[in-house]
Amino acid sequence: MKTIIHREFLDHVQSLQFIILFVLSITLFAASGFVYVRAQTERDVYFRTQMTQAERYPSTMGVNLFRRPNPLGFVAAGGDQDRPSGYAVQGGELTPLPVNPRTFKLPAIPALDWSFLIRVLFSLYVILLGYNAVSGEKELGTLRLVLANPLGRVKLLVGKYCSIMGATLVPFFAGVLVNLIIVEAFLPGGLAAADLGRVPFVLLLTLAFFSLFALLSLLFSSLISRSSLVLLTLLAVWVLFAVIIPSSSIVLAEKMSTAPSEVESARNFEPMVQKEVWARIAGIQGRVNRGEFQTEDEIRRETDRIFEEGQVKVTEFYANYARAENERARKAKAMSRISPAALFQYAAEDIVGTGDTGEENFLSQCREYSRAVDDFILRKLGRIVRVSRWSFSTNMEFQGKPIVVSSPQPPNYQGDMSDFPKFVERRPAFGEAFKSALGDLAGLLVWNILLAGLAFSAFLRTDVR
Amino acid sequence: MFKTIVVREILEYLKSAKFALGLVITVVLVAASTLINVEDYALRHQDFLDAKKELQAESQRVNILRGPQVLSALVRGKDKDLGELVRGWVGDVPSELSGTMNVRKPKFPSLARLSAVDFAFLVRVVMSLMVIFLAYGAVAEEKAAGTLKLVLSNALPRDKLLLGKLASGLAVVLGALAVASLLAVIFLMLHPAVSLTGSDILRIAGMMAVSALYLSVFYALGIFVSVKVDRPAVALMVLLQAWIFLVVLYPNLSVTLAERLVPLPSEQTVAAEKAAVGDRFRKDIQEVNEKLGQATPTAEDRIRFNKVWSQDAEEIFKVDSEFSRLQTRQMNAAELLSSLSPAALYDQVMNRLARTDIREYERFMEGAVRLWRSYVERLNLRYTDPEAYKKSQLPDFGYASDSTSQTIAAVWPQALLLSLFSLVFFSLAYTGFLKKDLR
Repeated sequence: MKTIIHREFLDHVQSLQFIILFVLSITLFAASGFVYVRAQTERDVYFRTQMTQAERYPSTMGVNLFRRPNPLGFVAAGGDQDRPSGYAVQGGELTPLPVNPRTFKLPAIPALDWSFLIRVLFSLYVILLGYNAVSGEKELGTLRLVLANPLGRVKLLVGKYCSIMGATLVPFFAGVLVNLIIVEAFLPGGLAAADLGRVPFVLLLTLAFFSLFALLSLLFSSLISRSSLVLLTLLAVWVLFAVIIPSSSIVLAEKMSTAPSEVESARNFEPMVQKEVWARIAGIQGRVNRGEFQTEDEIRRETDRIFEEGQVKVTEFYANYARAENERARKAKAMSRISPAALFQYAAEDIVGTGDTGEENFLSQCREYSRAVDDFILRKLGRIVRVSRWSFSTNMEFQGKPIVVSSPQPPNYQGDMSDFPKFVERRPAFGEAFKSALGDLAGLLVWNILLAGLAFSAFLRTDVR
Repeated sequence: MFKTIVVREILEYLKSAKFALGLVITVVLVAASTLINVEDYALRHQDFLDAKKELQAESQRVNILRGPQVLSALVRGKDKDLGELVRGWVGDVPSELSGTMNVRKPKFPSLARLSAVDFAFLVRVVMSLMVIFLAYGAVAEEKAAGTLKLVLSNALPRDKLLLGKLASGLAVVLGALAVASLLAVIFLMLHPAVSLTGSDILRIAGMMAVSALYLSVFYALGIFVSVKVDRPAVALMVLLQAWIFLVVLYPNLSVTLAERLVPLPSEQTVAAEKAAVGDRFRKDIQEVNEKLGQATPTAEDRIRFNKVWSQDAEEIFKVDSEFSRLQTRQMNAAELLSSLSPAALYDQVMNRLARTDIREYERFMEGAVRLWRSYVERLNLRYTDPEAYKKSQLPDFGYASDSTSQTIAAVWPQALLLSLFSLVFFSLAYTGFLKKDLR
C-alpha cells in the first residue's frame, strides 16, 4: 500500500501538470496576497475615516453605519466588494448606503481569492492529475501486471486516490503558506489569532472539495477506457460545476420567482404614494376651505400625521420589495447548490463571515442598533419622525393667505449626547459560523461518499484486459 | 491526393468518439442556454415596455429607461448588469444607471461576476476545449502509431499532408460551429418577442465569422503542438495548460494588472472635489431655495432657481465625467493588456457586435445628458416665454448607436490579431512539420 502511494506520488511529481501547478500555485497565491493587501489597506482606511466621522458627530437626524472590511476576505471575498458598505439608520429605517461600482467598466472578473483558485483552478488540476489513473494504466497494459500481484483492487484505488490528493495538496499548501506569509507581513496590523484560527476549517473544507474531484476522476477513469475521452468528460463536468450551474441559477430563479419583479414594484410605487399620501394631502385644501382647521399649526399637524401614516406604507413597500429580492436570491442559491463548487463557496463564506450570511448578520446588528437609537430619541425628544427616500413641499391657501407645507424633518437633539448608543460590530462567533456552514459541508460529504461508492464499485468491475 | 487525405481525415474525425461527445455536449448546452437566455431577454424586454409606459411620465424629473439589446440573448456582455433606469432633475445631471427601484446592481453578489452562460461563453470555453481535443492528436497520434512514416512513404509531399489535415480539421470544427450557431439563431428567431432587423442579422453573421476565427486559432495552436510534441498525451497536456492560461488566467490577471497600472482617484478625492463645487454654490443655492420656498415665487425666482441648480449640476457632472473618463482609460488599458489572449479578443469583438459593451453604454449616457440639457432649456422657456413653451415639446430620447459598418471598422484590429495568431501558429506548425524527424 505504502509502495503504491509512494510510486504513484513520484509519478505525479515528475509530471508536467504537477510542475506547472506548483509554479502556478505559488505565483497566483502570491499575487492574490499582494492584490488583497493593497485593496484591504485602502478599504480599511476608508472604513476608519468614515466610521470616526460618524462617531464624532452622532446625530438624532440619522447615523451611517459602516461595515468593517472582513480581515479574511482573501479566503473568500463572498462578493463583498459588490455589497453596500453599510446602512443609513434614520427614524427606524435602514437604507443601504450606495454601492460604488468603481470598476464596472472593466470585464467582470471574480475576486482572486482562495475560493476562486480552489474552485476553478485547483479542481481543474485535480482532474488533470487524476484522469488517467485507471484508464492510462489500462492503455499501457500495466494495470493487468499490477493487479497480478497479491494486491486488492480496493487497496490499489485507495493508493491512487491518496497520491492524487497528495500531488494536489503539496502545491496547494505551498501556495497557501506563501499567501499567509504575505498577508501577515504586509497587511498593517496583520491577522488576529481568532481569524487565523478559522483558516484550518477552510482547509478541511478544501480537502473535502479536492477529494470530490479526485473521486470523480477515478470514477470516470474506471468507467471509460480511453484516457482522452475520460478527460473530455471530466472537463465538461468541471465547466458545468464551476460556471454553468451557478451562473444559470440566477436566470432560472428570476424566471421561476412568483414574487413581484423589480419593475413591477417600481410601477406600483408611484400609484401607492399617490393614493396613500398625495391624494390625502391634496384633500386638506378642501378641508381648509370647509373650515375644518382653526390655525395654521393644526394644518401642519394634520399634514405631518398624513405623511407619517404614508411613511408606514412606504416602509412596508420597501420591505416587501426587499423580501421579493431575497426570495429570488435564496432560490438562485438553492438551485446553484447542485454544484459542489457552490457548496464549497457558501461554506467557506460562512466560516470566514463574508457573503450573504455575513451581510445578514451585519444587517441584524444594524436593526438592533436602530432600535437603540429610537429608544434614545423617544427618551429625549418624545417623538420619532420617520424619514423616507422621498419628501414633499406644497403650497396651500389658509384664510386668504398662502402658506407652504412640507414633509417634517427629524428633530436634531442638541442636548447631552454622551449616552447616545455606540455601534460596535460583532462578527459571528466561530460556533455560529460553523453551524451555518454545516449544511453545505454535509452536502460536500454526501457528494464524497456517493462518488467514493460509485468509483469503487466501478473499479471493482473494471475489465482489466 | 489532397482530396483523398481531406476526405479520409474528415471521416476519421466524424467517426471518433471525442467528436461525437463534444458535439453532443455543445449542442445540448447551446440549445439549453439559448432557450433560457432568449426567455430572459423576453422578460426584460417586457419589463422595459411596461416600465416605459408608466415610469417615464413624471414631469418633475427626467427618467430615461434603457431597454435590453436583442443580441444579448447570444452575447450577454454587460447588458444585464448595468441597470435599466437613469434619473435626473434640474439639480442633477443623469450620470449613473440603476435598477428601476433605484437600487444599484448587482443583486446576487455571491454569484455575480461569473461569466454568463451564453453562446459566446460556449464558443469561448466549451468549443475551444473541443477543438483542442480534436487537434492534439492530428500529427502526434499518427507518429505514435507509426502511420506517419507509412503515409509519407507514398508519393505525397509533407506540406500537402499537413494542409490536408488542417483543412479537414477546420472543416469539422467549423461544421460543428455552424450546427451550434444555426441552433442558436433558430431559437432566437422563433421566439415571438424577438424581431431582428437587417443590421442584427449582419451582426450575427459577423459573430459567426469571429467565432470561426477564434476556433481556428485554437486549432492552429493544436496542430502546432501536435507537430512539436511526439507523445499525444503530452501534447494534450501542453495544450490544456496553454488553454488554462489563455482562457482562464491571463484575461483575469490582465484586468487586475490594469487596475493597478491605471489607478482611479479614491472615493474621498472625488467626494472632496464634489464638496468643493457644493461650497462654491452653497450661498446661491440657499438663496434661490429660500426664494422658491416663499408662498408666491415670481417667474424670475424660478428662472434663477433653475439656473443656479443646473449650473451646480453641470459642475458636479464635470467631476463625474472626469472620473468616468479615467474608468474608460482603465478599461482600454485592460483591453490592450489582455489582447495577447485570443479569448479576451474574442470577447471584446463579440460584445461590440452584440452592442452589449461599455461603448454602447457610454453612447446611451451621452444621449441621456443631451436630453437633460434640452429639458433644462425647456424649463426656462416655461417662465420666459410660456407661449413657446406650450408649443415646444421635449424631444424623444434617442442616442446614436454605432452603425454596423462603424462597428466593423472598430473591431477589425482585434479580428486581424486573431487571424494573425492562427497564421503564426500555422506557419510554425508548417515549418516544424517540414523539419520533423519521422522516425
